[in-house]
Amino acid sequence: MQGLKILVEGMLGNRTQFLLLIGFALFPIYTSIADLPFWNDIAMRIMLLGMAAMGLNLVLGYGGMVSFGHAAFVGIGAYCVGISQYYGLFNGWVHVLMALGTCGVLGLIIGFLALRTSGIYFIMITLAFAQMLFFLFVSLEQFGGDDGMSIDRAEFLPIDLWEPLRLYYLIWTSLTLVSVLLMFIVASRFGVVLQAIKDNESRVEAMGLAPLPFKITGYLISAMICGLAGALFASWQEYVSPDIMHWTRSGELMIIIILGGLGTLAGPLIGAVAFLLLEEILPELLYAIAPNYAENWMIIFGPILIAIVLFARGGLMGLLHRLSRVRP
Amino acid sequence: MKKYLTLAVAATIAATPALADTVKVGYMTTLSGGAGIIGKQMQNAVNLAMEHTGGKLGGKDAEVVFADDQRKPDVAKQLANRLVKSDKVDVVAGVIWSNLMMAIHKPVTRSGTLLISSNAGPSPIAGSGCHKNFFSMSWQNDQTPEGMGKHLQDSGVKEVYILAPNYQAGKDMMAGFKRHYKGNIVGEVYTKLGQSDFQAELSTLRAAKPAATFIFQPGGMGINFIKQWKQAGMDSVSKLYTVFAVDGVSLPGLKEAAVGVVSTQTWSPDLDNAMNKRFVADYKAKFGGYPSFYAAQAYDTMMAIDHAVREAGSADTEAMRKVLAKGGIPTTRGSLAMNTNQFPIQNIYLREVVMDSDGVATTKVIGTVFENHSDAYASECKF
Amino acid sequence: MTLLLFLEQLFNGVQFGVTLFLIAAGLTLILGIMDFVFLAHGSQVMIGAYLAASLTILTGNFFLGILLAIPLTFASGYVLEYLLIRHLYRRDHMDQVLATFGLILFFNELIRIGFGPAALFSDLPPLLSGFVYILPDTPYPMFRVIVIVVGLACALGIHFLVAHTKMGAMVRAGANNESMTAALGINIRILRRMLFAMGACFAGLAGMMLGPLSAVEPGMGEPLLILSLVVIIIGGIGSVRGAFVAALLVGVVDTMGRVMLPIVLRTFMGQASADGAGPALASMMVYILMALVLVVRPTGLFPPKG
Repeated sequence: MQGLKILVEGMLGNRTQFLLLIGFALFPIYTSIADLPFWNDIAMRIMLLGMAAMGLNLVLGYGGMVSFGHAAFVGIGAYCVGISQYYGLFNGWVHVLMALGTCGVLGLIIGFLALRTSGIYFIMITLAFAQMLFFLFVSLEQFGGDDGMSIDRAEFLPIDLWEPLRLYYLIWTSLTLVSVLLMFIVASRFGVVLQAIKDNESRVEAMGLAPLPFKITGYLISAMICGLAGALFASWQEYVSPDIMHWTRSGELMIIIILGGLGTLAGPLIGAVAFLLLEEILPELLYAIAPNYAENWMIIFGPILIAIVLFARGGLMGLLHRLSRVRP
Repeated sequence: MKKYLTLAVAATIAATPALADTVKVGYMTTLSGGAGIIGKQMQNAVNLAMEHTGGKLGGKDAEVVFADDQRKPDVAKQLANRLVKSDKVDVVAGVIWSNLMMAIHKPVTRSGTLLISSNAGPSPIAGSGCHKNFFSMSWQNDQTPEGMGKHLQDSGVKEVYILAPNYQAGKDMMAGFKRHYKGNIVGEVYTKLGQSDFQAELSTLRAAKPAATFIFQPGGMGINFIKQWKQAGMDSVSKLYTVFAVDGVSLPGLKEAAVGVVSTQTWSPDLDNAMNKRFVADYKAKFGGYPSFYAAQAYDTMMAIDHAVREAGSADTEAMRKVLAKGGIPTTRGSLAMNTNQFPIQNIYLREVVMDSDGVATTKVIGTVFENHSDAYASECKF
Repeated sequence: MTLLLFLEQLFNGVQFGVTLFLIAAGLTLILGIMDFVFLAHGSQVMIGAYLAASLTILTGNFFLGILLAIPLTFASGYVLEYLLIRHLYRRDHMDQVLATFGLILFFNELIRIGFGPAALFSDLPPLLSGFVYILPDTPYPMFRVIVIVVGLACALGIHFLVAHTKMGAMVRAGANNESMTAALGINIRILRRMLFAMGACFAGLAGMMLGPLSAVEPGMGEPLLILSLVVIIIGGIGSVRGAFVAALLVGVVDTMGRVMLPIVLRTFMGQASADGAGPALASMMVYILMALVLVVRPTGLFPPKG
């Protein structure tokens, strides 16, 4: 009963995120009425991107650790699925466990090694690790190298993923679980300490707490969330390749979080929505105005990002908070 | 009618009623971002083809929907799903990159839609991973370097130094080369993908003094390499043989620097047949500059669809499939024959870069290395 | 590998390092002194290269092209700082990341619209296309020697500016205590603008040197940006001297790694494995170097004091 009360309070306190989740849950109803089934695909991509961004947000937004390597964890989660299928293992539940396990272990190792540094040095070390993993997978010719591997949707018995919308709701459920998990983590003592470390690490030390274990734990949880996103992504894309773990994808995750609002629960998902929607709409817009320049849509996208930094502090969540406070 | 979409706001698509008998083609290529120049050429060629057919395919009204894959596999997957399930295109065509082709091959072919490649030709889909709904209007990745390998072998070149970027395509190229070249490979160097400065590799090359140097360096890498090769005076040390380094995309950036560079390719702007002459002349007139092989293959793709619909009498997948599988498709390479794995059986030409009468750099055919060449993976393909 | 080849490769490494220095110098000052994460520094390289190449085509003279491009590049950095950058100094690093990332997209597309997506034609004038015998039996492209000379001259120039001029003192003072320098009446805003513009200028100069050697195309600066970040971390953020040493180190390690690693590996691995592992390892060499330096000296080789 107490737990349920906390849960409901938490959801009300993080209205935006749970409203978004409800929105995603109801979205397929709209797409079937409007006969736009392909928008489910876009929604799935947004949810997956949002999930990975939520993982990174734990360390970046709440923990202040700028990791450039998180796309590598997404990639490893995806390759857990890919390599398993290569050897004939199609059980999706096992894939997920493998992804969580591998990313957990790797997150622990990399976090342990990298978190001895801070600031820009931490950034570069995580980048270096991510690059090394990328080059490793590019060199694995058995698994297609950079051409990648075509795979099948995993089997999540008793759910048959080939039935319409099953994959959609599997992703949605995972996203919701991750949201609830993060909500609890952030509100817990662990989360409070983590955020305190971000604000002032020496003060935390002065209070008698060793920051390193907290940071490593945060890093490892975030790695696992990214791994989960990667495993589901592999089933959605039915293809794995080192592209997913290229450092530019890590940059993309960062951009999404900053766009949505660092250190907020809903920031990553709202950022993902904005990012992918802009990617869809801007080319169309440009095509309507100046058809010859439709493929140069990024010339508008760039300044939009700049404008958000200049005029919407705290990203889209910051904007939302300010708007909601301006009530007549 | 042509439309451009990444993933359009639904209203635009839903509002335009497609005529029941319209042939719909979803053409996927990279239009934005770094490699946009290639996609641009392909888009130009497709538009030109539609002009030449009077906006029709096989005599029926036609609609081409361009899709920009941004060179990302997940975007390509999304677009493929959309083209097949929502736009209900009759054919998905295009695709420059092998990894994107690997991402969309299964979903598209399995849905019962024809998939025709204008460029990508990775070995898995030529061999054991083949599918009857896939056709290539380009080549299998290994074929072009196989041609160079044979040429050097037949020319009695005793030693070759080979160089390619370190990625799957690079390794495929070198493997293809070695399939026919049996001489002494005095050096095998894999450079970094996207590398812009080759001085270090050139220094090592010069110390090795090989009689011949064979390189695969596509795109900007090719421009850089050849520029630096000339600047380092390497022509006096070794003879340069290339694949996919000098073409309609790179030559404007190289101009005279590329003159004399030899390459193999399945097509050249000076191929002597009526369709190619018309294509090249109109492309030059309309877009200023020679088309690249990417453009030629894109043009051929549309012509193949045109041929298939006309012979089949409809845009039904199975009917078109039967027509295409028979071969005899009119293209800029002449009448194209199809192998059992539905990749072309075609000639591989030896070409040299020359300056044409207007002072523009282009390639000229100086010989034929292989006639009616098949790729090495056809036997592994069983539908 | 002969001694002569070894020395020639060393020379190649130095040339590469000097080019890296031109890019890293501006970045280390911007990041170190102004504490500004300027991801779009690679765009400055591209802008410089395009200005020089297009002015060369316009005027028909290579030297004139560069001569005109240098002040224009300086101006572009100056204007950029005035219009946008100065509003972002107080902002969080992550906000700077987002904004400068948007800037990269904007510049790349601007160039793409203005000049098209294909590479711009850029070549050496016949005067500079000759060879210099740096070692017996080793003809070396003259232009690359000139790049080294230009780079070294710039290094000396920057050193002189920072260590021996009033402006350099102001820059160093500004780095240490902003409010104090402002209180002393030194116009920190103009100082920052000049510094930024100079960083842009040197990056642009690197682009101008690279243009005739490689391709002048949209996005040409991004690959170098990552490497420059590695350089300034190894050198110590904010230290020009550190950037110089680190750039040479990175240039040499990267070059020697690329050419020597496959050979070294082949002695105890099969040919096929060596050819597979060699390039992958070579790409990682620079990061391994960075990790090693950071283990021994966590703030870089020459961290500025304070």
